[in-house]
Amino acid sequence: MVSLSSYLFISFALFISGLAVMIARKNIIAILLGIELILNSAALNFAAYARFVNQNIDGHLMSLFIIVIAAAEAAVGLAIVIRFFQIKETIHIDDATQLQA
Amino acid sequence: MGINYLASLSHYVPELLACLTMFGLILIEATYKEEKKERGLLFLAAGIGLTSVLVFLIFNLGKEPLSIFTNSVVIDSFSTLSKIIMCLGTLGAVYLTSQSRDIQGNLKPEFAIMATGILVGGMLLSSANNMLVLFIGIETLSILSYVLASLKKNDDRSAEAGLKYALYGGITSGIMLFGMSHIFGVVGSINFTDIAVGLKSLSEGQVLIVLPSFLLFLVGIGYKIACVPFHMWAPDVYEGSPIPVTTFFSIVPKVAGLAALVRISTTFFAEPGVLNVGWVGTLSIIAALTMTVGNISAIGQQSVKRMLAYSSISHAGVMILGIIVMNDLGTRSVLFYSITYLFMTLAAFYIVSFVNDKYGNDHFERFSGLIYRYPMMAIMMTILMFSLAGIPPLSGFVAKFHIFNALIIEKYYTLAVIAGINSVIALYYYLKIVRIMTLKPSESEEEIQGFTYVNQGVVVALTIPVVVLGLFWEKVLMVAEGAKVFVQ
Repeated sequence: MVSLSSYLFISFALFISGLAVMIARKNIIAILLGIELILNSAALNFAAYARFVNQNIDGHLMSLFIIVIAAAEAAVGLAIVIRFFQIKETIHIDDATQLQA
Repeated sequence: MGINYLASLSHYVPELLACLTMFGLILIEATYKEEKKERGLLFLAAGIGLTSVLVFLIFNLGKEPLSIFTNSVVIDSFSTLSKIIMCLGTLGAVYLTSQSRDIQGNLKPEFAIMATGILVGGMLLSSANNMLVLFIGIETLSILSYVLASLKKNDDRSAEAGLKYALYGGITSGIMLFGMSHIFGVVGSINFTDIAVGLKSLSEGQVLIVLPSFLLFLVGIGYKIACVPFHMWAPDVYEGSPIPVTTFFSIVPKVAGLAALVRISTTFFAEPGVLNVGWVGTLSIIAALTMTVGNISAIGQQSVKRMLAYSSISHAGVMILGIIVMNDLGTRSVLFYSITYLFMTLAAFYIVSFVNDKYGNDHFERFSGLIYRYPMMAIMMTILMFSLAGIPPLSGFVAKFHIFNALIIEKYYTLAVIAGINSVIALYYYLKIVRIMTLKPSESEEEIQGFTYVNQGVVVALTIPVVVLGLFWEKVLMVAEGAKVFVQ
């Protein structure tokens, strides 16, 4: 049987890899994927805690809402990336340097 | 269960009205033809809707605190007052949009719609008593804000502002959720009241998990307030967005985030112990850094809008000081500070916006000689800058004085000294604009179309509370306490 700690380990690995993607990759789409990884690690955590530790509905609710809101955020994020691409014709984060003090 | 939910709805009228206003605005916008420039009816409807929200909120003020929707939303005087502040801020920003030329005519309705939506998110956030409601509130606020920041079409700066906002927002909300999930795992509930009970009986190992989780939690809220380690997005987004959007961002999300931070601090960390020490320590460092970095970065700015953006970061730092003291006095002074901050920021941004519409930028030099051409506006701007800097007898001073008072009663002398030094630094860049307005000769004699009599009247009307709250604050506070306005 899979234990709680293995779930927590996987979600922690997801979280760290999400952060690493955000820091290391220069492609904006990849960064959005990193955000999805982080959100999913939190959703996995909630589901795992709800299954193993606290037998109530709160954790499941949280994971459901995280999935919904992550989708909304990805939609808006991609729309903004498309607008950015139309203007600049690039999706490289280093080209977003117009606004620097 | 079902009946309880229906009964809860009757206490939730302001939020429902705000949602209705948003839907109504979408419908009205759909009836306009694409090429029509004027959208008078839409702004009228927005004004009526938001004013009715405000009226309902004001009627809710003196009531006993109550928790609705199975204890996941709390309506008390504190949340109601912060909702009033947010609603006033939204109204002000919507009026500015209708007058501004920084946003194209056919995009103005979108601003009104999104701003109302953000107001709903802010209202949720300020009365959240449940991690789920808090999360939904923050995301409603954020997702609509990303759209607002990139509102200008075909403008690379606006698109970049939206992009940066969206990326930072995504990371911070993910980190916040990760923290929340571990708090849920250890304590076993997502309801704040239950968590507060659970926190009292933690083993040492559990504290070692919970405290870092709360710090991750703080990242999400700190990002909304734009306090220092998480402030990197703020100057860029404030500069890239159109001015009405900047005005809106510097008021509504900030007040909503502060309200959430106050609720979290007072619910979870009021009891002395390891958690309290860790939380207060972190907040103290954040507050000191926020004030200092905001002020020092504001000094060298060319653009008045960017200067105001940095100064709003440092004001957020001062407001966090009021949260650190963790008592009624502190909370009350945070509320008083945010009321004065609302009027000062709104009026100052109005003037900056009209000048920017005329010249295409808002560098300090554009304000030169304003006193010879528009003496009324120059005097108002001077009053606002003095008040922002905290010079007596204006309300900015009284608000700062209350926070210092609360700090010194609780013996946080170091923080009080840092805040004092920062007020002196702030004086420099606020007075710079006053000097340029009064002493330098005017660049051109052309009139600024934005300063119509009505708009000048609005600016004066917004400045009057800045003076009145400074002179009669005692009476205002007494009236407020008599009505049990503040936290019980």
